[in-house]
This record gives sequence, structure tokens and C-alpha cells, in this order.
Amino acid sequence: MTAPAPKLVVAVWLGSAPPVRSIRWLDGALKAAAKFGGATAVAAGAQTWLDLASDRAVRLGLPCVGVPTELSLDYLGWAQVMAAVARHLAATTILVDEASRPERFAEVAAIAELLDAAQLTRVVALVPDAATIHASRAAGTTLQTVRIHGPAVIGVRIPGPPIDEYPTPMPSALLRRLELTALGLDPGVLGHRALPPRASQPANRSVDRVADHLAVHATPRKGA
Amino acid sequence: MQALTAGRAVASSWGATLYAAVIARDPEKRPGAEPPARIGPRVPGDPKTIEAIRSALARGGADKIVVALTDTAIIPLWSALGTAWQGVLDRLRPRLVLFGADAPSATELGPRTGARIGARLFLRARGVGSDEVELRDRDGSYVRMTDSGAAVVLVGAAPRVGRHGDDDIDVMVLELPGGVDPRIELASTAPAELVHTTGTLVAIGDDAACDPEIAQAAQRLAQVLGAHVVGSAAAATAGVVGAGAVLERGAPLIPELCVAIGLPPIDLAGSASLVRVGTAGGKGVDGALTGPIAANLGELARLLEDR
Repeated sequence: MTAPAPKLVVAVWLGSAPPVRSIRWLDGALKAAAKFGGATAVAAGAQTWLDLASDRAVRLGLPCVGVPTELSLDYLGWAQVMAAVARHLAATTILVDEASRPERFAEVAAIAELLDAAQLTRVVALVPDAATIHASRAAGTTLQTVRIHGPAVIGVRIPGPPIDEYPTPMPSALLRRLELTALGLDPGVLGHRALPPRASQPANRSVDRVADHLAVHATPRKGA
Repeated sequence: MQALTAGRAVASSWGATLYAAVIARDPEKRPGAEPPARIGPRVPGDPKTIEAIRSALARGGADKIVVALTDTAIIPLWSALGTAWQGVLDRLRPRLVLFGADAPSATELGPRTGARIGARLFLRARGVGSDEVELRDRDGSYVRMTDSGAAVVLVGAAPRVGRHGDDDIDVMVLELPGGVDPRIELASTAPAELVHTTGTLVAIGDDAACDPEIAQAAQRLAQVLGAHVVGSAAAATAGVVGAGAVLERGAPLIPELCVAIGLPPIDLAGSASLVRVGTAGGKGVDGALTGPIAANLGELARLLEDR
């Protein structure tokens, strides 16, 4: 008699701040997580963001855990928070919405490192199949088809349906709050990964400044 | 080579040693085989190719070269390269690790490296300064010689530095058997559709595409950026968008950078960085140029070509 395949326990990390431009990708990550059944959405940060994350999760039938904190952390700091929640939930598979904010993709690797899990970034489609996950990963000009076995952290870039406006989320009784201390995290220690406060940067409005912004993306010249 | 060029500038400024690290598959090596008693200072594979790589790395400014030999296929995934790369990190204990931001393995290896060594992470940084070079990312965060702690930097642009002519540099070979993470299994690869492109795109609106001057300037900018021009079927009719770059209206894109010209009928909200030309901008836009579109595009291309 063969042993039953280990059950996947899934959590989806929505991050520490709302999407920059659209909640379409947040909805897509939640929808991808909902395919697994029993997945839990996780967010951290300010209360208004936790309310939004909870609202979108509940609409797709997912419970949501919120970690309220005023801290502003780097990729490794937020990864510590999510890794602690994953341990608390006994989650083995973590999906990360890496499209809603550009800095979040780095958290995939950091969470994987802290959980000693496999990692896969830039996943554009995934299908659960018992204890295996079939994923398509965008890698430059190629699309990789990958099978994932065992504990893994997966960065997803999967869109939900287009949405222009959405109702203002209200505080929800369905949001389960978990304080940092309840997760075994000391805010003082975590603060060592805090980012220095920065004013939000206005959009570049001159040709020189836009060219300067684009320069880090330009194709290197031959011989440069 | 951008990472190498930036690394050279930093190493010269900081008085540091610059190692160029290469992970190579040894075709003669088999998993489980006994390691040879001694490995000579050579890199496996075709000698001419290897010599060309060694020469290029030396000319690019490397002080030393580290080659991590692995018996696994070279696939740009942490699961395939992580063990070999860890061997390099263990050996060198670097304070600063640079990756080319557009290198195929950078997104998988860079952040994991940072997490493993507890480093600060910088995305799309560039070298700034001449005497005291620092690396600064697009948020204004920076790495300086006087900083404590390690840093991992994905380099987006490198300063110009002179060529180095010393071809006679040390090559250190590390033999690192096995180590593929069996939890990630690559089943196949296929060409990606443009909708899944993670690089740079220039998206053009239907009205803008019908203006030959704008169309030409858009293509010039795309060439400088190494980007595809994408748009709707209507833009393709105007000739500026190639047959393989036509996207459905409302298609969601996830490029690293998108330059939107006019009003492309495409969902660009998933772009890591978004610059608009010909419209005032909006939420989360990194740059916006109003005014004559063709002139602005032409000036952007010229400025980038001159760098």
C-alpha cells in the first residue's frame, strides 16, 4: 500500500502595501491560490491595506490573516514576517503576488530561504495536481514548464479580471489579526531591517530626467 | 558584462579585488564520479571558447576568475545553480555581489544570495561618481565603501571605464558536485509570447501609430532600449508593430519597463516601471512627457545613444 501524497497547505502573501496601479494582479494571485482549496491570504502593514486585502480575499472565498504593523521593512524584513505566518499556519506552499509592486519579487527568494523551501519566480500560470504543481514560468524570451514537488515559494504574475473601480473596503470581522509578538517576532529586532523613510518620488517630467530613468534599461552598447 | 564593468569601477575606487564568477558544466563530469586528485588552472569545454571567455573577463576588468564546475545542466534557476553558487560564496565571502540586472539568472540568484548572506538588496542600480564610486538604485538608496554589511546589487547601467589589458589573471576552479534541488523539475521550454515578456516594451497607441514621424521615433527608441514595439491590430496596420507583436485590446502585460506612447489599448498596470509619452501620466507612473511626441522620443533616443 502506497502512502498518500502529502497535502499541500497553501498561503498567498499579498505583501505589505497596496498595489501601485491596479488590484487586478492581487485578484489574480488570490484566484490562483483559490484553486488549491483551503488557501489563506496573508497581508501585513497598515490597517487600510489589511482591510483591502481582506476584502478582496473574502470575495474569492479565502480567509485572510493580517499582521498589523507600522514598520517599513526591506525584502528580508517582510520575508521574516511571512515566514513566521507560514510556520504558524503550517503552510508548505507560499504564493507571492509579485506583480502588484515591483520590489516584491525579491521577497520570493527571501521567504524561500527562511523556510528552506524551493523557489520559483515569474510564474504566469499554475495548476495543482495532487502533491505536484505544474507551473509556467516566463524567463526572458522563453516560457519554462516546471513541475514543483514539495515545499516551495512561488512568485506569481497572474492577472485577475480587469477592474477599474472597486468599493472602498470596510474593516472586516473576517480578518484574523496576528500581532508580531504572537508570531514570535520582536518588533525591535525586526526594526533592524527597516528602510529609511523616503518621500514619494514624483514622476520625471523632463526629457533629461526620463532619459536618466530609462538608462538603466538601455541595451549595453558593443564595446561598452 | 555590465556587472563586471560596474564592479571594476567600484573595485578600483574602493581598493578591492574583483572576482568574476562563472558557473560551468563539466561535460566530463558525472554525478557520483570520484573527483580528480588535482584540477589544473583550466576551464573545461572547448579551449578556444574558454580562452575567449577568460580573455573577455580579463579585458572587462576582472582581477581574478572563479569557475564553479557542476555536473548539472546550466538552467537559470536557483534550484539548478544554487549549490554551485553557494560554493562560490563560501569560498569568497564577498562583501559586494553584483549581477547584471538583465542576466537570465539574476532574478533567481540575486535576491536569494542577498537573503542567504543577510545583505541589503539593490535593484537596477548604477555606478555614480568617479573618485569615490557608489552604486545607487532608482529609489535613491546607495552602497558606499564606508557602509557596513554586505550588499547585493542588480546592475542596470555601468559607468564607462577604460579597457583593461591584463590577460594573465588567475583562474580558480571549484569542483562542486551535484546539488540540483529535486523539488523543481524543468519539464520543457518553449518560446514565450510577448504578453509574457519580462523585459522592456514600447507600447504604441492607435492614433500615435498612424503618424509616420512618431512611428519612426518609436522604433528608434525601441532599438536603443532593446525593446519590442507592441500595439493593437490597428497599429499593426500602420506598419509600426510587427506581426508577432500585435496584442489583443486590454491584454495585461508584465514587463520590467514599458514606454507607453499615446494611449495604447493595453493594460500596462503590471509594468514594474511605466513611462508615458504624449499623456500627462497617472497613478504610479515613473515618468511622463507631454508635448510633441515625435520630438520627445527622438530626443530620448539621442540622449540614450550618447551615453
